[in-house]
Amino acid sequence: MKNKPILLLRSGLVIVGVILIDLLFFQMSYLSITLALLLSIVLTMLYQNHNASLITLMANDTKNSKVRNENSNEQEIKITLTKIASLLSQQMTIVDTEVDRASTLIQEATTGIADSFKYLKSLSDEQQVMLNTAIGNHRGAVDEEGTTIESFVHDSSETLDDFVQVIITTSKQSLEAMSFTDEMSKQLDGIFNLLGQVESLASQTNLLALNAAIEAARAGDAGRGFAVVANEVRALSVNSTELNNNIREEISSAQNIINKLRSSVQTMASADMTATLEAKSRVSVMVEHVGESNLQTNVIVEELAGLSPKIAETVAMGIRALQFEDLTRQALSTLKNNTETITALNQILMEFESDNSNTNQELQTLQHQCQRLIDQSHYQNEQRSVSQSSMDEGDIELF
Amino acid sequence: MNVIKQVSEDKKNIEISIDGRFDFSLHQHFRDAYINCKEKNSMFTICLSKTTYMDSSALGMILLLKDHAENYSGKVVISKPSESVNKILEIAQFHRLLTIEL
Repeated sequence: MKNKPILLLRSGLVIVGVILIDLLFFQMSYLSITLALLLSIVLTMLYQNHNASLITLMANDTKNSKVRNENSNEQEIKITLTKIASLLSQQMTIVDTEVDRASTLIQEATTGIADSFKYLKSLSDEQQVMLNTAIGNHRGAVDEEGTTIESFVHDSSETLDDFVQVIITTSKQSLEAMSFTDEMSKQLDGIFNLLGQVESLASQTNLLALNAAIEAARAGDAGRGFAVVANEVRALSVNSTELNNNIREEISSAQNIINKLRSSVQTMASADMTATLEAKSRVSVMVEHVGESNLQTNVIVEELAGLSPKIAETVAMGIRALQFEDLTRQALSTLKNNTETITALNQILMEFESDNSNTNQELQTLQHQCQRLIDQSHYQNEQRSVSQSSMDEGDIELF
Repeated sequence: MNVIKQVSEDKKNIEISIDGRFDFSLHQHFRDAYINCKEKNSMFTICLSKTTYMDSSALGMILLLKDHAENYSGKVVISKPSESVNKILEIAQFHRLLTIEL
């Protein structure tokens, strides 16, 4: 009968411990751990105090002293509970503040990170557009007529081929002209022969005219008239010799001109192909380079095309990972519920202090209220467990 | 003499070998080598194994020989050109016009 209040107190404190262990088990917050530790220290102190009381009771066997001791124990219990209440109140204030602060910090950080991701995404898109433009410039038209480096090199190669064909055709035609010139030269040589014959005719005529003149002189007066004719014939032969010489000179100069023509044609026909050969090989190297460069560009373009979706995917993954903010907020709000429970407990303890009538009655009330809080906390925790507990679950776009 | 001509007994196979430089200075000799071969279906072989250099006039001469051969339903074959000479023939795209036997 004497120990009843103490037993009640013990069970009450055990229930308080159960509440805190319950909270600790479900929340694992360092603040909960701190509270649990503090309360367990208080419980230990109370238990020791109670043991000391028992020893005292056994030592002093008088009723008065027992009553005094009971009164004193009740007083001690009340003081201890008051202390616990004020400690809880102090700790709860700190926990509430910290939870709020953590909430705000996480929200701000998440907003910042989300903004960064969005900016990163837009930069990546911009970069892709610029790269596409650059690649388009490289491959596409250089001027209004649609000349590309590739087509330019191709055209150069064709022009070079055409040029070579022109050179060869010119050579061929020059050589044909050369044959004609040689023919003409031979013809002129023939004319020279004919001129020689004409010359011998003239000298024979001259000789005949001379003979005729001699014969005319021998005939005397009768031959005078014939002598005049013979002289005229002779003069004609001399003239024809002069004419012959003139023709010979003309043909000679014509032959000189033909020789000049021959050297011109030779120059025309003899084009050195070495330079063309080098140009051709340079163009071939160029064609090869352009081909290689195009291949490389294509490879890079493909790589870039593959890179852009990867960046987008990574950004999406990052944004998805930001759901941790939501989950953390849920966890913090649950924690808030728990601190509210502890605050309620604190309130109960405060009320215990304010009333001084029946300690047994009050302790029983305290037990009931504690049980109610335990049930309430259990119910809330079950509600919480139903909600999302992992970031990998679901694919919700939060931003 | 840099232009050497060999004619088979039936006068249908004419081989013309060029020794050293094949340029304009040879045009008269080269022309003389084929201009009087007027047999039908003749085969003209130009042997360039000893030719060291060729300019555009040489290509012109070969084309004139080809014209001549085609007038008499003949054919022209270029035989064993050296590497440098073959390059010139390639640039001139002669492999499209004539048979080149390497």
